[in-house]
Amino acid sequence: MKRISIDPITRLEGHGKIEIFLADDGSVANCYFQVPELRGFEKFVEGMPAEEVPRVVSRICGV
Amino acid sequence: MAKLKLASYWAAACGGCDTAILDIHEKILDLAAAADILFWPIALDFKYQDVEAMPDGHLDVTLFHGAVRNSENEHLARLLRAKSKVLVAFGTCAHLGGIPGLANLFDRRQIFQRVYHTSPSTVNSDGIEPQTRTTVPEGELTLPEFYDTVRPLDHIVEVEYYVPGCPPTPKQIWNVVQAIVSGQLPPKGSVVGASDKTQCDECPREKHEKKITGFKRIATAQPEQETCYLEQGFLCVGPVTRGGCDTRCQLSGVACRGCYGPPPGVIDQGAKAISAIASVIEAKNEAEVERIIAEIPDPLRSFNRFGIPGSLLVRKNL
Amino acid sequence: MTFEPKIVGILCNWCSYTGADLAGTARIKYAPNVRVMRVMCSGRVDPTFVLKAFAEGADGVLVAGCHLGDCHYIDGNYKTLRRMALLKKMLSDYGIEPGRFRLEWVSASEGGRFAEVVNRITEDVRKLGPARFREARKKRISVSAA
Repeated sequence: MKRISIDPITRLEGHGKIEIFLADDGSVANCYFQVPELRGFEKFVEGMPAEEVPRVVSRICGV
Repeated sequence: MAKLKLASYWAAACGGCDTAILDIHEKILDLAAAADILFWPIALDFKYQDVEAMPDGHLDVTLFHGAVRNSENEHLARLLRAKSKVLVAFGTCAHLGGIPGLANLFDRRQIFQRVYHTSPSTVNSDGIEPQTRTTVPEGELTLPEFYDTVRPLDHIVEVEYYVPGCPPTPKQIWNVVQAIVSGQLPPKGSVVGASDKTQCDECPREKHEKKITGFKRIATAQPEQETCYLEQGFLCVGPVTRGGCDTRCQLSGVACRGCYGPPPGVIDQGAKAISAIASVIEAKNEAEVERIIAEIPDPLRSFNRFGIPGSLLVRKNL
Repeated sequence: MTFEPKIVGILCNWCSYTGADLAGTARIKYAPNVRVMRVMCSGRVDPTFVLKAFAEGADGVLVAGCHLGDCHYIDGNYKTLRRMALLKKMLSDYGIEPGRFRLEWVSASEGGRFAEVVNRITEDVRKLGPARFREARKKRISVSAA
C-alpha cells in the first residue's frame, strides 16, 4: 500500500498532517487527518481573574 | 548581492508573530526583494522533508516562534538549528515560553484530564486520549509526545538573537529585518528589536510619587487614563519590562503585563516585579502588608505572565 | 543516612549576622545546615536571590534582618517585609512548600534565638525532604526528558 504524507499542512493557522493510503489501483483506500498540537488553554486559565482571561486567550489564535 | 535565504517557523504558537511579520504591509515587497523564503508554513507550501533535504547551514536566518511544547517542536528546533547560520528566537514564546508557558503550573496528566475528559464541551464517552503511536488497518500513525514542561527555544538549542514581544511590533520587525539585511547586528546573544530601558521610560502617563495603599482590579474599578496605573493601585509590570513596543497596551487602556520580557540585567522578571512593586507599597506593619498584598489575585501569573518557562524555577513543583 | 538539608541563609550585617556571630562566640551548639551570606541590610535581598538559591539546589532559604524599628538604615527592613510577603505568595504558586522559606528578625544580642531559628528551619526542611527544583532547570534537554 502506498503512503503519501502531507506534513505540515500549510497556508492556514495551526499544525496538521494528512496521511493518505493508496490501494494498488491508485484509488484512496483511507485518509487520516491529524492535529499534532495542544497547548491546554482550557486548563491553564483556571484560577485566573476573569478580566485577565481575554488577554490570555487572545493568544489561542493570533491571526 | 545574493538574496538571503530565510525561514520562519512556528512551534507551540498562535500565528500572531507571522501576522505581525505580514503587518509590515507593503514593506513585504522589500523583504521579498532581499530574501528568498524557503520555509514558512503560514504562507508557503514547503514541507518538513524540504528542510531535511537542505544542507546544514543552508538558511541564512531562521525566525523561530512558539514555545517548545512537544517532541515535534523539539525536533524542528534541532533541525532548524542545524540548517540555519543564524537562529532567532522570535516573539515571547520562543524567547521566554510565552502564554503557552502558563501550562507549566500543571503537568501533562492534569492538562489531558481537562482537555479530553472533564471540560464541559468535550464529548468523549470512550475516554480516548491522543497516543504517540496508533495502529490502523493500513499501517501506523504517529503523533508527537506532549512533554510535562514547556521550554523556551534556548533551553533546547543555541540561539543567536532574541526578538521579544507578543507579538513583536511590525515597526520593530522592520528594524530587525533591516539589521539582518545590512549585516549590522549586535553581538551574539543580544536582544534585538527593543529598547534597553523599561516601559516606564516610554509610557506617556503622568508619574508622581508612588505610595500604594491597596490594589484595584479593572473588573471592579475604573482607572484614570492620564495617570500611572501602578500609582492608582492597578497592577502594572511596566517597571520591570523592556520597552520598545510604544506602550501599545497602556495606550489601549490596560496595564502592561510584561510581554517584552525583562530589561537588561534582570534574570527573573517575576522576582524583579515583586521587588519593584513591594518597594512602593505603603504599609507600617505586618498586618497592613498582608491586607494590601491579599488584594493581588493570582501572584505568579500576574508578575510573570509571559515568562514562566524562562524564569529561574521554570515550572511549578508538583 | 539521614537527609542533611542544604539551607542558604542571607543575613543582614548589623543585627542578624552579628547575632549569628554571638551564637558562635557563646559556643552554642546548633544545626550546621545553614550556609550564610552577609548583606549590609535585609532590604538588599532581591527576591531573585531566593529563587536562584532554590533553582541552584538549596533545600531551604532563610532571610534574617533587624527587628522592625531597629534597622540600621531606618526602614530597609520594612522593604524586606513587603518583598518577602509577596515572594511567599509566589513561592506557593511555584509549589514550594511554606516550610522551605523563612523570614526572621534576629537582633545582634539574640545568639540563642539565631540558633533556635536555624534548628527550626533545618528540622522543617528535613521533614519536607530534598527539594527537586533544580531538575526542571536542565537546559539542552534531550528528547522526552520532560
